[in-house]
Amino acid sequence: MCSNNPYIPMPVEIIKIIDEVDTHDIKSFRLKFMNKEDEAKFKYLPGQFSELSIYGRGESPIGIASSPTEEGYVEFTVQRAGAIQPGLVTAALHDMDEGAKIGLRGPLGNSWPIEFLEKKNIVVVGGGFAFTTLRSLINYMLHKDNRSRFGEITVIYGARTPGLLLYKDELAAWEKRDDIKTIITVDKGDETWKGREGFVPAVCKDAAPSPNNAVAVICGPPVMIKFTLPVFFELGFSKENILTSLEMRMKCGIGKCGRCNVGYKYVCSDGPVFSLAELDELPRDF
Amino acid sequence: MKKTSINKISDLAAELLGKGTLVAPVKEDAGFNFREISNAGQVDLNFYNTLMSPKSAFFPQTEDFVRYDKNKSVLDAQCVDLNLKPVFLFGVRPCDAKSFQIMDIHFSGTGVVDPYWKKRREATTVFGYAFDINTPADGADFYSTLNIGAADPEGSDVFMMKRGDELLLKAVTPKGETLLASLTSLADASADEQKYFDDTVAAGRDFKTRFTCVDDKVIAKKLEDLFHKTEFWEKISDACLSCGACTFVCPTCYCFDICDETLFSKGVRRRVWDACMFTDFTLEASGHNPRTKVYQRLRQKICHKYSFHVRKYGVISCVGCGRCTRNCPVNIDIFSIVDEALKA
Repeated sequence: MCSNNPYIPMPVEIIKIIDEVDTHDIKSFRLKFMNKEDEAKFKYLPGQFSELSIYGRGESPIGIASSPTEEGYVEFTVQRAGAIQPGLVTAALHDMDEGAKIGLRGPLGNSWPIEFLEKKNIVVVGGGFAFTTLRSLINYMLHKDNRSRFGEITVIYGARTPGLLLYKDELAAWEKRDDIKTIITVDKGDETWKGREGFVPAVCKDAAPSPNNAVAVICGPPVMIKFTLPVFFELGFSKENILTSLEMRMKCGIGKCGRCNVGYKYVCSDGPVFSLAELDELPRDF
Repeated sequence: MKKTSINKISDLAAELLGKGTLVAPVKEDAGFNFREISNAGQVDLNFYNTLMSPKSAFFPQTEDFVRYDKNKSVLDAQCVDLNLKPVFLFGVRPCDAKSFQIMDIHFSGTGVVDPYWKKRREATTVFGYAFDINTPADGADFYSTLNIGAADPEGSDVFMMKRGDELLLKAVTPKGETLLASLTSLADASADEQKYFDDTVAAGRDFKTRFTCVDDKVIAKKLEDLFHKTEFWEKISDACLSCGACTFVCPTCYCFDICDETLFSKGVRRRVWDACMFTDFTLEASGHNPRTKVYQRLRQKICHKYSFHVRKYGVISCVGCGRCTRNCPVNIDIFSIVDEALKA
């Protein structure tokens, strides 16, 4: 019962904590497996998630922000949750220090469909905090062993303010590369901001990525998605070629607890990645 | 095939108790329920059906996963092992036996295998028990709508039926065969009794509970089309209190929560039954909740059983046992809702 049990978390150590934003409510946690065999078993692809587990608090499903090409650790970017009441797990996690030990179950869910994306031009559109598994995908595609498998890569990423942009060092590094086109925007800049200002949908319209042999991978807050999708339809992207990742409340993460269904699909095990064509088949119940 | 006299049923119970754990219907204040038997004389087959479904034999209301101490390292957490003796689940009605097969598809037949369900299933021998086809069905039952016979051996390892003062027992699976062969308190049945058994199984197929003609795919599609017809769902859920009683008594409801229960520093992570009828079932930490309204939750329950489950697993996730109807405090009746949906 105690080995290979999908409900029992693997022990991991927090080896690094990165304070990502100026509001200090989003941090990245770099985790190292405490058992070598767990690390060997944990084979994942960009777009998958895991349950972060703190005994006495519970578990939270969090997208994997690192790329499988980064070895020796797995990283999660976690927002301190709680608009109505504090998120028990995320609050506890935010109060932890490097060296703390927690549990992890995963990898869970499907992934960005890597084979489908191969040989295509990839347009990655992200808004705010919903950039974590997109970062995993971008770093995966940019890895020297993988870059030639994909066509042009365009990244359009926006946040409300410059201080809310995630992964600032990486964004700067991508902007210097010539094998990825990086467009960063903020809704409103500050006195130090020299970059672009504007909402993601408008920036997408300006950038006008070609739909030819291209796939758009879009994650962001509902309002961004709502106004960005029409831009991509107008550009000529088909629903099969627009991908996104859903969130629902989850517990088990393995399609058993019955909580995260949208119609006949479980977001945890059939998703979280869906194409718009697939979502069209499902009732609007999320 | 074997038989025993009804008034010697305690001998059979005693023999099963000697081989492992016996779970059978026991009369309690509110009615019958499946309970672990400690005294062979407790077994009583004079019941219609149990208040709670027998699903808890495989999916108990609470299942402990891990014991932990918050003041100690995550490495010190102890996984709770499941050491089971052979279990004999005795007196399961055909609709409930069928529910195990439907739950098998979800818990151990597709995707990740649930180790608790699988282990409990493997340890258990199911003794099915035919409804009495000479007395009318309870007004809430509608298992014949779902193609389950009143004396349907499907889903049982051993199937039992009464004939006068005798209890006939026939093995349905190899597991049941082996067990029956090892029981010394049973006598061999005659050819006449064999024929009676087969005739009753056949007659059970024609035994009618409430009935409406439901084709899996037709009802699944119909509910899909009705999903966004809010007025339909508002009407049928008008009286619903969102209490979740229907889901707790249901043999095919499998939703669960995983929660940590800590007292001072020591605690247990366990799974407990949960219900899609509760408001916080889908409440996310962000505050977003896709199902804040009662109609959305009742719609989820009905559509899950009669539409989503058919799309996902190819079967309706309901066996027509009538428990939800019998136990609903405001008399909401799933049979009528399905009937309404088909007419809508």
